[in-house]
Amino acid sequence: MQPDGSIYEIEALEHIYAGRSVLRIEQLAIEAGGIVGLVGPNGSGKSTLLKLLGLIEKPSRGSLRFRGKVLDPFAPRARHHVTLLPQEPSLMKRNVFRNVAYGLRLRGQTDQLEARVQEALSFVGLPAEHFARRPWYALSGGETLRAALAARLALKPRVLLLDEPTAGVDAASAHLIKDAALRAQREWGTTLIVASHDRPWLYEVCSDVLQLFKGRIFGTGEETVLFGPWERFTDGTWGKTLSDNQHLRIPEPPGPETPAVVENIILGETDRNPSPDQVHLQGVVSRLNLAQKTGRVFATVLVEKLSWTVPLTQEQVLHRSIYPGKTVTIQYRLDSMRWV
Amino acid sequence: MDFLLDGLMQAARLLTGGDAETYSAIMITLQVSTLSMLCSLLIGIPLGFSLGHFEFPGKRPLRTLVDTLMALPTVFIGLLVYAFLTHRGPLGHFGLLFTLPGIAIGQTILALPIVIGLTATAIESLEEKTRVTLLSLGANRRQLFLSSLWEARHGVLSGAIAAYGRVMTEVGISMMVGGNIKWQTRTITTAIALETNKGQFGMGVALGLVLLAIAFGVNLSVSFLRRKT
Repeated sequence: MQPDGSIYEIEALEHIYAGRSVLRIEQLAIEAGGIVGLVGPNGSGKSTLLKLLGLIEKPSRGSLRFRGKVLDPFAPRARHHVTLLPQEPSLMKRNVFRNVAYGLRLRGQTDQLEARVQEALSFVGLPAEHFARRPWYALSGGETLRAALAARLALKPRVLLLDEPTAGVDAASAHLIKDAALRAQREWGTTLIVASHDRPWLYEVCSDVLQLFKGRIFGTGEETVLFGPWERFTDGTWGKTLSDNQHLRIPEPPGPETPAVVENIILGETDRNPSPDQVHLQGVVSRLNLAQKTGRVFATVLVEKLSWTVPLTQEQVLHRSIYPGKTVTIQYRLDSMRWV
Repeated sequence: MDFLLDGLMQAARLLTGGDAETYSAIMITLQVSTLSMLCSLLIGIPLGFSLGHFEFPGKRPLRTLVDTLMALPTVFIGLLVYAFLTHRGPLGHFGLLFTLPGIAIGQTILALPIVIGLTATAIESLEEKTRVTLLSLGANRRQLFLSSLWEARHGVLSGAIAAYGRVMTEVGISMMVGGNIKWQTRTITTAIALETNKGQFGMGVALGLVLLAIAFGVNLSVSFLRRKT
């Protein structure tokens, strides 16, 4: 039984590149009309997932359903409703107008073509009178990206997939791109799926955030990932010694380099009867992010150079006067760690 | 070197005076090369696209084979086509030997590896992001094929011009398969060869100039097209 309102459903999906498994998702449903963020380091599988959802590639194994039906990559039923803005999008060798009109022409939607192209260009802050006739090579990087986004917006898609849409563009372009994508979601109910390193923005706008690592979804982006190599201390416990002489302790790892995921990190009280399975570390708050949908605040705490994500309530922020620059103690339990 | 000057003057007379024999060779060349180019583009572009676009086992050896065939000697093609079309050959009953379609078959074989090879190179040189762009905007298989060709148009056009250059200037196939029959299968190049043998430099030079003019015209229109698109 499919969940109500799911636009995508994934089951036992695996994708293989050159004999190597790059993405494996047991189960995932994406709700229609929402905004889903994908976070994770480079090479974690975000772009692959977007290409599969965008019908650019077909999964090697498993099923990917769009609105309840298994996808055939070239079936117009799905292809005409889903569009991906890839990382480093390219324009075709034609002028801006013909680039933006391309998808509409493919669909045979040539009624009011001019008006629709103009509207799409205005969404991304490229006035048609100045940009429509420009050739593809006469645009800056930010303008190229915005023109490429306009080509997707002109289609009024049900699903808009954005792969690092603001990487490498100036602040003004980034703002226009974010604004245009959110406007599409608001005005047309477009489902947005966005891969980005801009976590503050994702937390602010997304209904769900999925964290990917090594081709697996392992959380909601609120987890902290710790990387090896791990050492065995003289007392038999495992972890690593940080340069400020603090000990980061972990349970015995399955491998000397296996990354660990820490959940349920809380702000701790300094060293009041620490139990043996609790770890306390001292760090400095470097950033506070607000997830507008849930009202939760996420503090990024730097312990030496390691970045920890600590969920807080607004009351905690207020009463414990948490602000960037403040030294705090964070606390986690060894039994709350997982391996990826 | 007086004969060259004399040849040039005679060429001017032949061309401006509408000499029937000269114009027959020109028309036959244009007809047969157009036919063979149409065939080689129709067959070669889809094959070249497939070779450049898809990954399949044996792609590299196939690529090497196509590249090797680009250097096929025209007399060798002439020999093969002659052997197939002669009345004792497997295709002899079609009666194509010493006809324009017969020459066109040979010239198509000549042009095909060039069209396939250079189209494949042009398609391969398209970045992966072009394919992703076209697919992400909703292109189906046919639209992907046509739009990729359009994106690679300059490379494909270069292939077509290179092939046209070889077809226009070859002698071996036209001579062996066409038989150099006056008014029927005598092309510009076979006519030049014959007239030179006869010591008739004038007509040879005239026809040579026409070949040059055609090459110039083709390249001029192509560079105009390039600027426009």
